[in-house]
Amino acid sequence: MDEPTLDAIIARYDDPAGRLLGILGEIQDEEGYIPRESLAMLAEKLDVRLSQLYSLTTFYSYFSLTPVGDHVITVCMGTACHVKGAPGILEALEGMLGIKSDTSEDGKFSITTDDKKFTLEIARCFGACSMAPVLRIDGNLYGYATREDLPAILAEYGWEP
Amino acid sequence: MTRKEASSTGGAKKQVTVTINGKKYPADEGEILLGVAVREKIAIPHLCYEPSLDPYGACRLCMVEVIKDGKREMTTSCTLRAAEGLEVVTDTPAIVKYRNVLFELYLAEAPKSEVIKEMAARYGVTKTRFLKKLDTTDSLGNKCVLCGLCVRACNEIMGAGAIGFVNRGPYTVVNTPYFEPTKDCFGCGACAKVCPTKAVEFEDRGSERVMTSWSGTKVPLARCDCCGGYYAPKALAISTLAHITPSLREEIAALCPVCRGRRIARDEILAGRGGGAGSHG
Repeated sequence: MDEPTLDAIIARYDDPAGRLLGILGEIQDEEGYIPRESLAMLAEKLDVRLSQLYSLTTFYSYFSLTPVGDHVITVCMGTACHVKGAPGILEALEGMLGIKSDTSEDGKFSITTDDKKFTLEIARCFGACSMAPVLRIDGNLYGYATREDLPAILAEYGWEP
Repeated sequence: MTRKEASSTGGAKKQVTVTINGKKYPADEGEILLGVAVREKIAIPHLCYEPSLDPYGACRLCMVEVIKDGKREMTTSCTLRAAEGLEVVTDTPAIVKYRNVLFELYLAEAPKSEVIKEMAARYGVTKTRFLKKLDTTDSLGNKCVLCGLCVRACNEIMGAGAIGFVNRGPYTVVNTPYFEPTKDCFGCGACAKVCPTKAVEFEDRGSERVMTSWSGTKVPLARCDCCGGYYAPKALAISTLAHITPSLREEIAALCPVCRGRRIARDEILAGRGGGAGSHG
């Protein structure tokens, strides 16, 4: 992220209280992840220690410190989705994308395919429990998902068997 | 002015009487109860109590029961302030039960910590039912209980902010950003000093101080002009010297504490021989 873009984001937050999460969220939305240079630049601009920003970004599962694929698939693993079969959806997606879930050392669940096309993540609850199980791809929500629906949904994003 | 005079004229704090285990003790109003207990040598186990920082109540070991209007309430004595008539009891069956589970949890969280093993053993806890956290790559040697004193000392006392909590839940550790050496560290060692489980390690290797627990962060040391030994982190020496009167500054900047002591002694002896009036009247 270049300096003017970051400055523009910071300028939208005039109240120092609670602005860090908002700014980090916007960086993430813009870049798909939080680049190291952006974090260092932000620390300098706001006169906040890098250790504090690093704590925040590693604490929240929403933030990623590594680049994500072209399309981000988030499977809701909230209670309602869980009982409605979300683990099966996740397993099917892993099979289709040829990746295996392995909670990394930081405890976050995020895996990207080797061709960098897809990133598979989990979330705790979308707040769309009435449509459980739910998954989200690049911000588009898919409710009442079944394993059978998945190939057609993923095909919209350029997935090939 | 003697020390006694200094303390009595310093803060005219209201004196109160608190009752611990049925015995009355004097205390300053607002004083931390755990501090009173420590002073009066009443054994209350604790890990995260550090008088130089605001009370935080992280480790939960210093539980006492407050007796008020015939009711008892369990609370941490490190966040309890002395007030007139405050009455607490330690080591009640409820506290012992609660604390023993905590000791078991700490034995699992920091299985390599001798401090915790000894403390728990003193209260009869030598085994844990919980899964021990053993990570061979842990830079804190499986001794950290995540009380956060090091992070707070680094931030709040030193203003360095070199280290912080990383990750979340069972994956939480304390380290530098990106697990890499950081320029924010002064090498003061306050983190190691406040650590209740002696988890933080660093060592001086020649002209450098290596913060082994903090991703191998290296800090240059200041060298004594007289003996050539390295004695303090350079950046820290410079920032400390900024607060000292110029005449003293030169002397301190050049010499390590040992050589400085020798020089002062020598000067005193020479002054004594010269028949100068004793400065310590």
